[in-house]
Amino acid sequence: MEGFLIFAISILTLAFVYVILCLALNIECGVAGMWDLGIVSYFGVGAYSYAIIVAPEAASYQHYLFGLESNPIYGIVLAIILGGVSAYLIGLPSLRLRREYFLITTIAFSEVLRITFSNENWLTNGVAGIYNIEQPLKSYFSPDNYIVLLFVIFLCFSVIVYKMVNKLSFSTYGLSLKALRENEALAKTARIEPSKQYHSVYVFTGCLAGFSGALYVWLNTLIVPTQFTPNVTFFVWTALIIGGIGNNRGAFLGAIFFVILLETLSFLNLSAELALVVSSLRIALVGLALILILRYLPNGLLREKPTVL
Amino acid sequence: MLTVTNVDKFYGGVKAVENVSLEVNKGKIIGLIGTNGAGKTTLFNVISGFDKLDRGSVNFDGQEISNLLPSKIANLGMIRTFQTATGFPRLTVLENLLVFSENNNFEFYKNFLNKNEQNKEQIEKAENLLKKFGLFEKKNQWVVDLSAPELKILEFARAIMGNPQIMLLDEPAAGVNPALLEQLMEIIQELNGEGITFLIVDHNLRFICDISDFIYVMNDGKLIAQGKPDEIVNNELVIETYIGK
Repeated sequence: MEGFLIFAISILTLAFVYVILCLALNIECGVAGMWDLGIVSYFGVGAYSYAIIVAPEAASYQHYLFGLESNPIYGIVLAIILGGVSAYLIGLPSLRLRREYFLITTIAFSEVLRITFSNENWLTNGVAGIYNIEQPLKSYFSPDNYIVLLFVIFLCFSVIVYKMVNKLSFSTYGLSLKALRENEALAKTARIEPSKQYHSVYVFTGCLAGFSGALYVWLNTLIVPTQFTPNVTFFVWTALIIGGIGNNRGAFLGAIFFVILLETLSFLNLSAELALVVSSLRIALVGLALILILRYLPNGLLREKPTVL
Repeated sequence: MLTVTNVDKFYGGVKAVENVSLEVNKGKIIGLIGTNGAGKTTLFNVISGFDKLDRGSVNFDGQEISNLLPSKIANLGMIRTFQTATGFPRLTVLENLLVFSENNNFEFYKNFLNKNEQNKEQIEKAENLLKKFGLFEKKNQWVVDLSAPELKILEFARAIMGNPQIMLLDEPAAGVNPALLEQLMEIIQELNGEGITFLIVDHNLRFICDISDFIYVMNDGKLIAQGKPDEIVNNELVIETYIGK
């Protein structure tokens, strides 16, 4: 297969990880109106949960928990469960707050977790991270075919998550979330209990973000704490704003658009010195796209539309 | 039906509501008037669970409700409105009604595992209400695009959708032109005829006197008078409070 094609497929495969994150953020923020700046927390928890279960036993110079080299399915299930559990626990104090205060608390928790990933050597091997995490099914395929297989699997996962999130968004549960987003006091008079709804959607978001974390490690075969900086949160937010907050199709499209945009400059055939300079322009390019979108399409590429019943 | 007994509500050193007792009998329209800052809305918030009372009790249909959450109180059949009628701006007119459907199941798990969409019966009920109130043509529009009078009317349609036993209206006459006020009065009387009880807060004395069976008057957080409309308009304390000596 041609190098360009392999590169394009790989980028799209990564984009599907972001699609799941973006859909998770959309039901939380776009549908329920919760301004969360900590989605990277559950992404990280999911990624580490998967890694320590699926990775081989730690070598003498490494320290991390478990290393069971177990079936990746267990890793994914654990990532989903622990993503949800951590969201439940972090939600207990932070969901008492609203808007900006909630936002500050969630970003603070995400930093606490990142620092924990960096410093708790016994658990995560610290800043050195965990390497050589075997990719499931890889031995059955040639490298080129495996890239295509990953693309198909990740596409299927992201479509399933899209269907799930979309179904919830347009159910009576989704209606209750939108009602809370629009007018919390009035929603209470419609028999909606805010704390219950907020907590459930927050846990659901945690599960989805945990799932995408597991896929991220599957794709990369390694994990280090610097992969879970607040940048990830801001990237997902940017993707969602580009796609259209409140619109699940927009979230899907925004994530793909964002990852392609972020990686576009990698296609350029440049000298090593110039490549270094250009790579630092990637974020600037995303920033420029965000400014242009906000200027000319303030509701994103696909805006939220009235639901016709 | 609704009994408020010796209710106090303080904000720090401010006595917003002090030793207020009132009774709302089934099928009646009860008015609660007072000047700005009299404590009417605070009392409303206490009754509907949006504020916790500091003393006293609120009893609805034989059940103590003073410590219940607003959603639980709404579940008992008490639906309130707010001073500013904004509805749910980015939900359609139809969805604004469907949120209040009695049969709604908002549980995550039920919706996650089953196909829990709005049933046809509820949609039909909501559409009939919209036809009755002249909003059917706008059913698929976001509420943010409605005019102020349409929003006021939508408030009633929305509340009826939840089959309330009692409606607490917070200043329904505020910012309303005379023609719309007339229309609102007709709607209230029609709904009352269908068996819905009303407790209406306003500071428009004429509106309250025209529509109510019985009126309570508040000033500075206290009840200063109560009686039938003709007694209230001739009450010297009420006249003094509203017009001055």
